[in-house]
Amino acid sequence: MTSWRPTPALVRACLLALGGLTGGVVLGQEALVVLAAPFLVLAAMGLASRPRSTPLVTARLDHHRLHEGQGSTSRLDVDDLTAVEHVTRVAGVAAHVATSPPYGAVGALTGDGLPTLGFSPRRWGRRALGAERVALTSAWAGWRWGPLDLPEHGLSVLPQTAPYDSRAEVPQPDGLVGRHRSRRVGQGTEFEGIRPFATGDRLKRITWPVSLRTRELHVITTRAEQDAGVWLVVDGLRDIGVSGGIDGAASTLDLTVRAATALAEHHVRTGDRVGLLVLAADGVRVPLGGGPRHLHRLHGTLARVRTEARSVAPERLDLGAGAGSVVYVLSPMLFTPLVTATASLQRSGASVVVVDTLGEGMTGDADRLALPSLAARMQRIERDDRLQRLAGLGTPVVPWRGPGTLDTVLHQLARRAQVPRVRA
Amino acid sequence: MRLLPPGVAASALALRAAVLVLPCLALVLALPEVPHWAVSFGVPLSAAVWARTPDHAIGVVPPVLVGGWWASHGVVDWRLLLVAALLLGAHVAATLASYGPVTLALDPHLARLWLGRALLVLVPVPLAWLAVRGLDPAWAPPGTWLVTGVLTVVLLLVTARLVRAEAR
Repeated sequence: MTSWRPTPALVRACLLALGGLTGGVVLGQEALVVLAAPFLVLAAMGLASRPRSTPLVTARLDHHRLHEGQGSTSRLDVDDLTAVEHVTRVAGVAAHVATSPPYGAVGALTGDGLPTLGFSPRRWGRRALGAERVALTSAWAGWRWGPLDLPEHGLSVLPQTAPYDSRAEVPQPDGLVGRHRSRRVGQGTEFEGIRPFATGDRLKRITWPVSLRTRELHVITTRAEQDAGVWLVVDGLRDIGVSGGIDGAASTLDLTVRAATALAEHHVRTGDRVGLLVLAADGVRVPLGGGPRHLHRLHGTLARVRTEARSVAPERLDLGAGAGSVVYVLSPMLFTPLVTATASLQRSGASVVVVDTLGEGMTGDADRLALPSLAARMQRIERDDRLQRLAGLGTPVVPWRGPGTLDTVLHQLARRAQVPRVRA
Repeated sequence: MRLLPPGVAASALALRAAVLVLPCLALVLALPEVPHWAVSFGVPLSAAVWARTPDHAIGVVPPVLVGGWWASHGVVDWRLLLVAALLLGAHVAATLASYGPVTLALDPHLARLWLGRALLVLVPVPLAWLAVRGLDPAWAPPGTWLVTGVLTVVLLLVTARLVRAEAR
């Protein structure tokens, strides 16, 4: 249990004061009395300011939900500050967590307010924030309470919502309502054309200017608007490269998770139903859904993605995705079974897009003849070959580049979807 | 090779430099008289350890060595005032440095507070110095030394009682 203890400074002042005084009296050394005089005052003031309280120290974070790169302030609560003159706080070191001040040490007189510490997780995932040591010092630095360790707060840091926007429509929207223009004519707001009135047309669809000009009733036809089912397949089998957090280099898993977050946010905001399949040792499947709560669920699931050495690539991707669904496979595509499973999904009728998230993950060492560099290059060549064969089967492969990454591909898929299919 | 750990605050470094230098300066004032080699080596060495860990018990050694040397030579001239100020400076610098780790920058408000306190506790120094120089011990009443001795012992006991931490 913590208690108020004399500081080394007070003990030193007491020893020097009493030693000097004793030496001066016993030995008759007047110089010692002169030298001990200031320490006598320091010791007396330090002893006199002995606190009697038992302060209760707690700390709390301003936020309990953070995206990587965002920050929160840790505030200290001390129930009894009567005898406390100074407060020192030192934050513990945690991986991928930045502190403010930079090395996590802050102190202030209680008259100036209790010092605050800033924490900012620099990478998504499970992070420990707020572990710190606190010391309270009484007046004249006489007595110290602590240092006592305050516990950390475990926090699921959500991936950064990378800037992503797409003007392309989903190729084959299959829902009932939504923002995507359907190929069918129906009740919507998207203008399709003007045609002569026919039995059954609603009167409010009559366009009076055209009808008056042609002296024949005409109606406006519109296209129905539908939503789409979008599946995100996240490859959490391996993490290639070193993650420098949000400020540094991105590993393959960083790119994958951030891209998935951006796509999920974009499609949910567009009104689509989004599902998620995480390929990992403890794989997770989030069914199709929409709305802010579903988006939050997707973010939380993505924040918990972890790679494990025992993870194996699946033989097939069991999504239950219909012919109208769009499937984004976000992966560095380093495993042949996953490539095969993607090709099978494409054959089943879904619109599959492979988002390549290798990035700079396998650039290799500077020494091109070193064994790790050679191995990385060989693996990359094999991977590129697999991706080429996948593209040959009709599955577009695009490297993740943020906004507009998928526009061209989705336009092409939409055009392809309008061509009548003949099954062999 | 890094001499200092990362994130060292310049003010913390300055405080530690003061802890190292001030006791040495207090000894340098004795020049041209050269102290005994044990004192000459002991003061910088112990001051260096004190500067490295301001909370260390070795912090008593430099003032004791310096003060002991000046007392043993019976010097009560103006230099004694400077020595007292320098030793107090080293003690205050170590106190300020012990508020936190080496990465903790010195709070300007705390520095101002301790500057005021240091000036305040220096007030008895010239008074004691004048008393030592101006008063003849022969004039003291017969019981003075006995009373002073008893008072010192009482102070020692009271301090020991007060400094003992309470077990809660």
